[in-house]
Amino acid sequence: MKKNAMVLLFAAVLLSFLFLAGGKGGEETDWLALDFVEIEDAARSTTISWYMWGGSAVINEWVDSYVGGELKRRYAITLDRVPMDASIFVNKLLTEKQAGKERGTMDLLWINGENFKNAMEAGLLFGPFSEKLPNFLRYVDEDTVAYDFGYPTRGYEAPYGRAQFVFEYDRARMEEPPDTFKKLLDWVEKNPGRFIYPQPPDFTGSAFIRQALYAVTGGHEQYMHGFDQSLFELNVVRLWDYLNRMKPYLWQEGKSYPKDVATLDTLFARGEVDLNMTYHQAHAQNSILSGLYPDTVRSFVMKDGSIYNTHFVAIPFNAPNKAGALVTANLLLSVEAQAFKNDPENWGDFTVLDMGRLSEEERAVFESIVLGEAVLGLDVLSKYAVAEIPSPYLEALEAGWEEEVLRKQP
Amino acid sequence: MTSRSVILLKLSPLLVPFTVIFTTGVFLTILQSLGLFMPIPFEGRLFSSYAALFRGSWFYVNLGFSLYCAFVSAVLSVVLGTFLSYVIWRLPPGMQKLSVVSKVPLILPHIAVAFIVLMFFARTGYVSSVLNHLGMIESSSDFPAILFGGNGLGIILAYVYKETPFVMLLVTFMLKKYDHRQIETARMLGATKRTTFFRIVLPFLLPVINTSFIILFLYSFGAFDIPFMIGESHPSMLSIQVYNLYFKRDLINRPQAMAILVVMFAFSLVFIYLYSRIAQRIDIRFRKI
Amino acid sequence: MTKNIVLSILLIALFVFPLVVLFFYALSPGWRYPDLWPTALRLDSLRYVASQRAKLSLSLLSSFQYSLITVLCTFCMCLLPASVFARVEFRGKRILESLALAPALVPAITFSVGIHYFFIKIGAADRLIGIVAVLTIFSYPYMLRSLVAGFLAYGAEYDLCARNLGASLLMRVFRVDIPLLLPSIVAGSTVVFLVAFSEYFLVFLIGGGTVPSYTGYLFPFLNSSERSIASLLTIIFMVIPISLFFTIDRVLEHAYHRWGMTT
Repeated sequence: MKKNAMVLLFAAVLLSFLFLAGGKGGEETDWLALDFVEIEDAARSTTISWYMWGGSAVINEWVDSYVGGELKRRYAITLDRVPMDASIFVNKLLTEKQAGKERGTMDLLWINGENFKNAMEAGLLFGPFSEKLPNFLRYVDEDTVAYDFGYPTRGYEAPYGRAQFVFEYDRARMEEPPDTFKKLLDWVEKNPGRFIYPQPPDFTGSAFIRQALYAVTGGHEQYMHGFDQSLFELNVVRLWDYLNRMKPYLWQEGKSYPKDVATLDTLFARGEVDLNMTYHQAHAQNSILSGLYPDTVRSFVMKDGSIYNTHFVAIPFNAPNKAGALVTANLLLSVEAQAFKNDPENWGDFTVLDMGRLSEEERAVFESIVLGEAVLGLDVLSKYAVAEIPSPYLEALEAGWEEEVLRKQP
Repeated sequence: MTSRSVILLKLSPLLVPFTVIFTTGVFLTILQSLGLFMPIPFEGRLFSSYAALFRGSWFYVNLGFSLYCAFVSAVLSVVLGTFLSYVIWRLPPGMQKLSVVSKVPLILPHIAVAFIVLMFFARTGYVSSVLNHLGMIESSSDFPAILFGGNGLGIILAYVYKETPFVMLLVTFMLKKYDHRQIETARMLGATKRTTFFRIVLPFLLPVINTSFIILFLYSFGAFDIPFMIGESHPSMLSIQVYNLYFKRDLINRPQAMAILVVMFAFSLVFIYLYSRIAQRIDIRFRKI
Repeated sequence: MTKNIVLSILLIALFVFPLVVLFFYALSPGWRYPDLWPTALRLDSLRYVASQRAKLSLSLLSSFQYSLITVLCTFCMCLLPASVFARVEFRGKRILESLALAPALVPAITFSVGIHYFFIKIGAADRLIGIVAVLTIFSYPYMLRSLVAGFLAYGAEYDLCARNLGASLLMRVFRVDIPLLLPSIVAGSTVVFLVAFSEYFLVFLIGGGTVPSYTGYLFPFLNSSERSIASLLTIIFMVIPISLFFTIDRVLEHAYHRWGMTT
């Protein structure tokens, strides 16, 4: 009988946890009407939840230790980083909006591209807020962040980093990597089974076929003026031809593609394929430092053009702590945060700050960063940088790839 | 004594949450598959998502593939699990303690099991390393494409590894209630080991085996975690198709994703019904012994 | 005798060896093909995990908590209905029984999206109660099946006998039913606990990051190229169920022995 009493007690204790609430402090104020100083005051000693992709230990650590540490130090704000893919939290917001949930759980989101577009079209974001951030006004050149994959940002997202698409190879296994798409095709045909790209709609795989599109259809400018259906249909045939020609010589003869770039990373690290690709330009250095790669790995870009994009943060319509989110977004744009982030030891992500607007000492901080041998310098990268394609093309490409390449029988 | 209302009352702790949560959820899914209840306006007729589904050959290919993977893995798990449980049960009690290690895959989440299969059976995996050291293969490309080879072997391996202990758990608990003496009697009467198993013990285990098979087959038919990690691109499991359409592609695709789910759900129901009828017939036949 | 040894080796190879490999992977991010064992051992992943230990312990405890509550809920939900299914014949029983299994057999996404919407409306989303509710619905069939099998295995005569001997309802439940049901209760609870503990997707969708879960913490790593950290986290993951199993095994052995139920 005593045992039963203990079981009951135990159960009662557990059940009491069921009534733990999960609310946060704060009411609905019109934050956009306040001064930033007032916003900072309101945000002190609160908690914010930042939802972002969690698949990189390096980025996680930077967010947890640096960003979390700085927020704590300057404002006594507690940062809770929640790993969640963008497409999933956009879906969540959608359902919450549909159900009329005025007070959500997400304060800040790492979002861009088509997820941003979907979120905007469904009215899921709070703003426009970027002009409220002092650091944004002071350091960022608005024109460089006016569009996100061709979709106007209109102040609903604030930038905090820039990434460029690079490829990686191992110098110990390969002397000269194929640095144009034409050379790539030749190389793949001569070395069957040693190359593969992640399956679209994975972000990196999708970016790969976008770059291929630029390369085989004569460059990127033609696509920068909004979605042109006829242009697309005319040009995309050449892309499918290229990819289908490559297909039989791919890893697993093109019958199977790694579902995301992380899987491809492992294939490359284990030596199953000879080339890797990533939208994270310092990835090679990071991986060498963490022991994943041998130190003979180097990055390279395609001379036909290497696309870059910007990381943004946005605030959901039902964020419970908008003040805290604004403060964090501002902090991310500070010189110290950007410089710390730029160091490959911490992340290696590029800055979005306009160098022309920085003072001498501030610029010197950036110039003193040692990128490491495995990473390409900013000069090389900017030389070949091309802008991302507007999102309607992206969706058309992803849908088309499945039909025209994946499922096509030779 | 046991009037209908008393029965219903006793069943209510189950029926009430079931209707409120489960049926509501399914109902909303069906609505969304018809294009209703969408966060953005849907252009298309009521059943257009279903039409698109049935018209595309990819749906049937993926459906067939999902059924095949689910069936093979469920059969293998049930056979292997029953066999291992029986053999362990016949061990001397001291050694039976060893069987606790078989619970390991039960503890691991599906995604971790997929991770392990990846580690072992990839072309640069552990098994390949062993073969390489034994001199049987030269390089990683000589190792057969077990995973990602287009035949679902990776998925099946992962499911079997995860599900066999589940079968073992259920079968072992049934066997705990079983009387050893029945076996001794049978042996004394001259039955061989094989006959003993198949005609004495197996009928006793049949209900549990049937249940496990249904559960495992339908679960792996629709489950997401394992194919997500080691699934193939084409053909792919239907659940991955749903995930891509729902989460990764444009909102327009939601009704189609929901339509697939509804079809899978309907299939499951039909299968449960048919299988229980067949199982019941076999049950009755065996009980007569 | 040799057959037993072969079997033991087979069991160990099958079930223990992968853990060994995981263990080594945790200590060597740079383990390259075709090395049979890693050439260089590094403590990087240990360091990283140690730096995250607050968050990690929180998620482990949270997972443990909601899994345990789920077990309790499924048990309360299924006990009476199981006795009905096992002992009473009524019209439509077969169909009802099959339908009752349904939540375990349909893909999680099927009803989770619909339910999410519903939960938000009633304010259960992003809270423990929402997660427990979803996990309960998702996993109760295992408990139900187990309990039904348990009831079937010992028949109503025990109950009748006890009643004839003058036992009260409470006495019957605690001294007759539950001990006899214990194997199936344990079996069902084990499965439900594990299903709840290792569930990633449902918890994530409904809990939305506010209710911490260990699988939510582990999954991004398994899905990434950080295999070393992933292996380490997987090993840590197993600690709670293993200790739980071990404790229950011992307690049960003791209990069976006391009740004279050894096989």
